[in-house]
Amino acid sequence: MRRRTEPIVSLELGTSHVRAFVGEPGEHGGMTLLGMGECESVGIRKGELVHFESVAKCVQRAVEQAEERADVTIAEVHLALSGAHIQGQHNLGSVSVEGAIDEDDLERARAAARDVALPQDHEVLHSVMGRCLVDGALCTSPLNMVGRSLSQNVLVLHGNRARMINMAKAVKSLNLEIRGMAFGGLCAAMATLTPEQRYEDGALLIDLGAGTTDYIVWTAEGASAAGVIGVGGDHVTNDISHAFHLATPLAERIKLEHGDALLHPIFRTRRLTVQEDGLGKTARSIRLYDLHNVISLRMEETLGLIRARLDRQKLLTQLKGGVVLTGGGARMANILQLAENVFGLPCAIGEPRGIDGLSKQLARPEYATGLGALLYAEKTEREQASRSRGLWHKLVRLIGW
Amino acid sequence: MNPQSPQPPQSPQPPLPPEPPAAPPAPEAPAAAPSVRSQILVAAVGGGACSTLGRALADWPSPPEAAAINTDARALAQCGVPRTLVIGQKVAKGLGAGGDADIGRMAANEDADSLRALVSGHQLLLLLVGLGGGAGTGIAPVLARIASEEGLLVFAFATLPFAFEGDNRAAQAKEGLEALKAACDAVIVLPNQHLAGLLPPDASLPASFAFADRMMLAGVRGLWTLLAENNMMNLDFSDVQTLVEYNDNLCVFGYSETNGPGKADKALDALLHGPMLDSGKVLANAGAVLLNVIGGPDLAVAELNTVRRGIADVMRPGGNLTVGAAILPDWHGRLALTVLTAERWMPLPAEGENLTLSLQSPEPATPSSRRKRSKKAPATPPLPSPAPSPFKDTDPTLHDGEDLDIPTYLRQGKRISG
Repeated sequence: MRRRTEPIVSLELGTSHVRAFVGEPGEHGGMTLLGMGECESVGIRKGELVHFESVAKCVQRAVEQAEERADVTIAEVHLALSGAHIQGQHNLGSVSVEGAIDEDDLERARAAARDVALPQDHEVLHSVMGRCLVDGALCTSPLNMVGRSLSQNVLVLHGNRARMINMAKAVKSLNLEIRGMAFGGLCAAMATLTPEQRYEDGALLIDLGAGTTDYIVWTAEGASAAGVIGVGGDHVTNDISHAFHLATPLAERIKLEHGDALLHPIFRTRRLTVQEDGLGKTARSIRLYDLHNVISLRMEETLGLIRARLDRQKLLTQLKGGVVLTGGGARMANILQLAENVFGLPCAIGEPRGIDGLSKQLARPEYATGLGALLYAEKTEREQASRSRGLWHKLVRLIGW
Repeated sequence: MNPQSPQPPQSPQPPLPPEPPAAPPAPEAPAAAPSVRSQILVAAVGGGACSTLGRALADWPSPPEAAAINTDARALAQCGVPRTLVIGQKVAKGLGAGGDADIGRMAANEDADSLRALVSGHQLLLLLVGLGGGAGTGIAPVLARIASEEGLLVFAFATLPFAFEGDNRAAQAKEGLEALKAACDAVIVLPNQHLAGLLPPDASLPASFAFADRMMLAGVRGLWTLLAENNMMNLDFSDVQTLVEYNDNLCVFGYSETNGPGKADKALDALLHGPMLDSGKVLANAGAVLLNVIGGPDLAVAELNTVRRGIADVMRPGGNLTVGAAILPDWHGRLALTVLTAERWMPLPAEGENLTLSLQSPEPATPSSRRKRSKKAPATPPLPSPAPSPFKDTDPTLHDGEDLDIPTYLRQGKRISG
């Protein structure tokens, strides 16, 4: 099939699923989804690689399925990563300028902004540029403005070098070229937050993944904070499994079918009969109220940790656009009400948008990261012409391919 | 869909959609059947669809749960569907939508709560609509969205206007179809223009409309019968879900019915060379096909095989064919085939891939040996399952000295009775 533009491929390396999305950028902007491949993850825990071969195998399946469905050959991918080691660091890079601000001044300000001190074993994943300030005043397009100082807001995402290299190696072992890497939470935000939320009102995105809970904050200055809590849906499942002495797959199923993030008094008297598979296992019953209690305590704690972090950074008052939830955890019953209780802000489920060809099955919060990675990849590809830094170049050198 | 033709067609008929399939005997599990039945709601919106459904219910021996929804109170009272819902009293004042889909949409939004109450508690909504008119085109997408918010699987059967109905209706229908596609799990479209190929050139106007309606009903009824009744080879919701999983929410529907000797070959031939499936081309691209066979007690295994093989042969390699069959006691010598598939599918797979069939070997099919469909084998064998202790090979998630991998309820000292 002949295509006018090169398709872009995003690869989401999630704890529950590895997914590859193939999108075709429009000639005049926009993106059309051509196909998607998916494989249940093995060898990824809390967003980190723990078994190299299994992960490579998952990636291969997801990519092959995407190739078949999209009718393309995939040679290059953009990765969406998570993991508790990933951190976001906000910085303001300032340079003095003379006369009208030109492209060169902007580049100097960006370079100053990117220059943050990292922990020794960390490496920059990528940087998200925010708004500029000219003589201390926020400014949308500083080019050609006259001032004495130019400052650039930036959010630098960085993570543990070895862990990112491991992930990259698993992908590279399949002869896939890595065109870029991005933080999963940022990708989810790309697919769900509106431009108003990102650049005017401010908003908080929380991606409730299986292994980790990622968040990223936008304020009027741009992306202002991001981070990962190493707790996800698998912890909820493990809590259930622990509390009611159930095998993990059964606990997972009960979570999906009967889970609730809030406590309802009517469930005090209702019980759920559970039957373990296999011989000699007798049916037992658990109280739904207890089940909801276990789930609610965990999810409230996780959201509370994010709230506490943002509170310390004085960011909670700058989120007029509210809170958007994505990831499989966003499908938990009453999670919106719980989030509203925790944050005291309007909350919404983030359904991916901005991509043509999304069926209803794909317009779901758990696909936000992979689809957003497509949008982010398209954006970086566009900007790539003038930029050529970030981790992946260094990785290429480090790994020696 | 046709608001103007309440009377049955009088002109010579092309292959007829089925007579009402009577309830098949359900000797084994009479209690189980009603529960599935009550999960399915058949709803018609707009004048044409409501009267079509009303006529169908009149001779449907064990009818499904059905409801008719319209802005026009008078038309609704006459349509013959027992359960009716007049919506948009404020915007339409109990009258028709005047051909304006905006009125229909506003009416549906006005009474969103009533629509929600109507669908809640069901699992599958079969939505009938004639696109092009005001009420149906406006209401259907809103109803579909509400139902899908309530967790229902939503299938819409939609007719598109005939060409002679004019460009305005065609344009409105097209817009309505897009909105419907966005809100439904699958939309099954009967382009009336395609059906025209099945009609004799001198078919009267009412006959044409009635024919389109009856084709739509054949689809609804075929699907409903296969899902809700106690058949020898039942389909369940997951089969239907498989069908919609990969497609772009737009399904194509094919139907043929024959009788007498060689009925299987004849029915297959009509389906594969008729206009509904574009002379079989639709099947050639299909990744998944749902084939419903409805026959009488004399339906032979060989016939079932003929049909299955005939369809499988024209499908692309790797396509997934799911077959359901129902035996109706008064259908001696008759056979009806209903095919549901998607028009646009994934590209052709690599050569050498095997054809996956959910029904592999013919078996004597008796009610007592109703077989469970073999689950579709995954394309690749499953990976070894992860270790039972999920976090042992990772660094503990520490926060202020607390190990967050330990269940929250334990760390907070909450008692769970278990």
